[in-house]
Amino acid sequence: MKTMMKGSLLALGLSALAASTALAQEATFVMTARLVGAPTYNPIKATKLNTATTLIFDRLVVQDADQSFHGQLATSWESSPDGMLWTFKLKPGVKFHNGEPFNAKTIEWWVPQFKGTENAFTVEAIEKVEVVDDLTVRFHMKHPDPNLLFNLASSFMCVPEPKSYEALGDKFGVTEAIGTGPYKMQQFTVGQQTVLVRNDDYKSASDLSKNQGPAKFKKLTFREIGEESTAYLELKTGGADVLVNVPTDFLPRIQADKAVKLVTIPGNEVVYMPINTSVEPFTDIKVREATAFAVNQKEILTSLYGGNGETAETFLISSLRESQVDPKYKISYDPERSKKVFDAAGWKPGADGIRVKDGKRLEVKLWAQNGTEFKRLAEIVQAQLKAVGMQADISIVDAGSINAQYRKKTEHQLAVRAYQWTNADIVDWFFAAKRAGYPNVSMFNDPEAEKLNDIAMNKSKTWDERVANFTKYHEYVLSQYPFAPIYQPVQSLAYGKRVVMPEKIRGIGFSSQSMIDIAPAN
Amino acid sequence: MLRFAIRRLAMLVPVFLAVSLVIFMIIHLVPGDPLEHLIQVGSSPEQRAQMIARYGLDQPLLVQYGRWLAKVVTGDFGDAIVMRQPVSQLIAENMPHSLALGGTALFFSTVVGIVTGVLAASFRDSLFDQAVMGFILLGSTLPSFWLALLMILMFAVQFEWFPVSGARTWDALVLPALTIGIGGTALIARVTRAAMVEISQRDFVRVLQAKGVPFWRIQLRHILQQAMLPVMTILGLRIGWILGGAVTVEYVFARPGLGSLLITGLGQRDYPLVQGCLLMLAIAVMLGTLIGDLAQAALDPRLREAMGAR
Repeated sequence: MKTMMKGSLLALGLSALAASTALAQEATFVMTARLVGAPTYNPIKATKLNTATTLIFDRLVVQDADQSFHGQLATSWESSPDGMLWTFKLKPGVKFHNGEPFNAKTIEWWVPQFKGTENAFTVEAIEKVEVVDDLTVRFHMKHPDPNLLFNLASSFMCVPEPKSYEALGDKFGVTEAIGTGPYKMQQFTVGQQTVLVRNDDYKSASDLSKNQGPAKFKKLTFREIGEESTAYLELKTGGADVLVNVPTDFLPRIQADKAVKLVTIPGNEVVYMPINTSVEPFTDIKVREATAFAVNQKEILTSLYGGNGETAETFLISSLRESQVDPKYKISYDPERSKKVFDAAGWKPGADGIRVKDGKRLEVKLWAQNGTEFKRLAEIVQAQLKAVGMQADISIVDAGSINAQYRKKTEHQLAVRAYQWTNADIVDWFFAAKRAGYPNVSMFNDPEAEKLNDIAMNKSKTWDERVANFTKYHEYVLSQYPFAPIYQPVQSLAYGKRVVMPEKIRGIGFSSQSMIDIAPAN
Repeated sequence: MLRFAIRRLAMLVPVFLAVSLVIFMIIHLVPGDPLEHLIQVGSSPEQRAQMIARYGLDQPLLVQYGRWLAKVVTGDFGDAIVMRQPVSQLIAENMPHSLALGGTALFFSTVVGIVTGVLAASFRDSLFDQAVMGFILLGSTLPSFWLALLMILMFAVQFEWFPVSGARTWDALVLPALTIGIGGTALIARVTRAAMVEISQRDFVRVLQAKGVPFWRIQLRHILQQAMLPVMTILGLRIGWILGGAVTVEYVFARPGLGSLLITGLGQRDYPLVQGCLLMLAIAVMLGTLIGDLAQAALDPRLREAMGAR
């Protein structure tokens, strides 16, 4: 009897150990806010993808936080001096999850698939793809495109398996998603969760990953939770192991919570205040300059964002070379300069402190989309503008409607908003005259800027030339004050006790480069 | 009874048409469009114009409505623009979750609401009655969004009895069902109590009391049976309301369902998706009302006769 009991206890103990080991092999990630709602894992046709995408698929190249490029499915690449030919050497022995080989023919099939999709612009400059040999492809360009590597590093340029892609049609990425990545898609419920299982044959990690073999977790579940409080509580109670994108509002709470740890990497977002250059009083460059220098970025960083992140003094994220402009173009808080320029523009302080010119008070509209962060930001900016004699009346506009309101072109004057992008061509997106209204919320239309835009966008042959041209364009835009830079958030990831994070998070966001280095705690 | 049912069903046709028009116009007249979620950085204004034409958004609204309605009557809700899947498929995938949640919440609120209402009416003006009335007032005024977070903090974070969110295990249904059910419980209890108090003052109750019929027999057999008529109407309305009322609750608890789907669609201004979800909710309300009316008619022959005589 005693022996039987001992045996039972031992069996129970072993099965408990096996269960805990199995659990240690699994991890649950929670995605919230903007990562929620990706409708498909079809990288070619999707307009929204989430963190799990780069675990299912690989790209030819990937990008690090310092904006450098590293081979993933490509081992090396070179561009001809005139920028009209790009040759890529491919990694040997790579297989898709269904056993199909990855080779030069895959790339020859892949590039034309973008035609007619919303992502067609990524390969627009490629005339044709030539298969040089099984592991070498050459892109013949219509015109030089120094931005090609950036496009190739995008999640939308993950490489799917051709046969299953053709066979599944629109169901590819929904019912099945076959790539070469470190995980295979096991199950996907739109808006709810994605379950991934490890690809045990994986060996095509880039040199950004310490782990060059299969991932360390056998199974990953990516849950989508739109409500940020719920997402945080899942992490706090152990229902989730990792919260992928920590909302800025939650940073102080997470930092104070001993049950979870926080890791941050440089951000890819800029918060700014566009100034509508087409409506009074902002048609006057002096008023724009005075307004831009009235915004106290440091105060906002401290009071609203708890010191997390850094101030913005240009339109671009700091890690971009094009953000390294001549210091005279940088816009950082200078109340004395602001007041002096307002005076020079003829706006004199009235009895109540609000400036007046020709009997007209300096009263403007300040728009913000709904949501706590933007509302509070607008209130702080409102107080800062008042300190230099401008009365800004805040209007809160529904996030789903605000772009349509901008398209009316003259309804708004100032706004607080943010963008997320890691390429200098965002200056073209937000300030090119052809996009006035939205995304060119500033209604910026300047002949010199258009000339510099054309050079930067279309005349650059090499990456260095493109950087130089975009820096000039960026500097000119800064000199015209169509916006005030405010803040650059960090990207944050919070995690619980069951996972161990790599010492350094590589890449421009949380993607496969670092994900395959994440390990179980024991 | 059949004639009554057919007559009531026929009345739903113009209601359906009116509701479909309102739903279509509301979402289209709100500023913003789904293309904001399809346009990529780097695409040109011409590409946007092409997309507007591709999805037929450049057509007059009435033309767009006509095309949509023609499809809807054949059971085709169209394809979601941003999600790029058939709306009917998305609804079919999410509906079971909404029905499970709504059904559980309705069952809870019906059972607890009727029992509480009966007890409150039976012990009218007692401490118990006052406590119940206080609960009713509180339950009917608590915003479900706030109540949902309170439930999570108390029962998932503090006591760790239930999971915070999701729909992966049966116990994940408890907190959201309670959150929705509490509001319904308050309403049903209030209606039950009011109806029972009103009926208990009728002459036939005094006759029964004079005859010496036991108190609980009078309460349950005679008063409650008649009090069920208004309760049935409320229950019918609740069937539809519970699906619609679950919108915020599903979102907070990160549950799949029509509500979560609707919120996703609204955020993306995905017209076919929002129209499909709202139409399903409207149909649920209409069917709920119909069921309530039929149940009421089954309980009260006078109603059948009145409708049949017309």
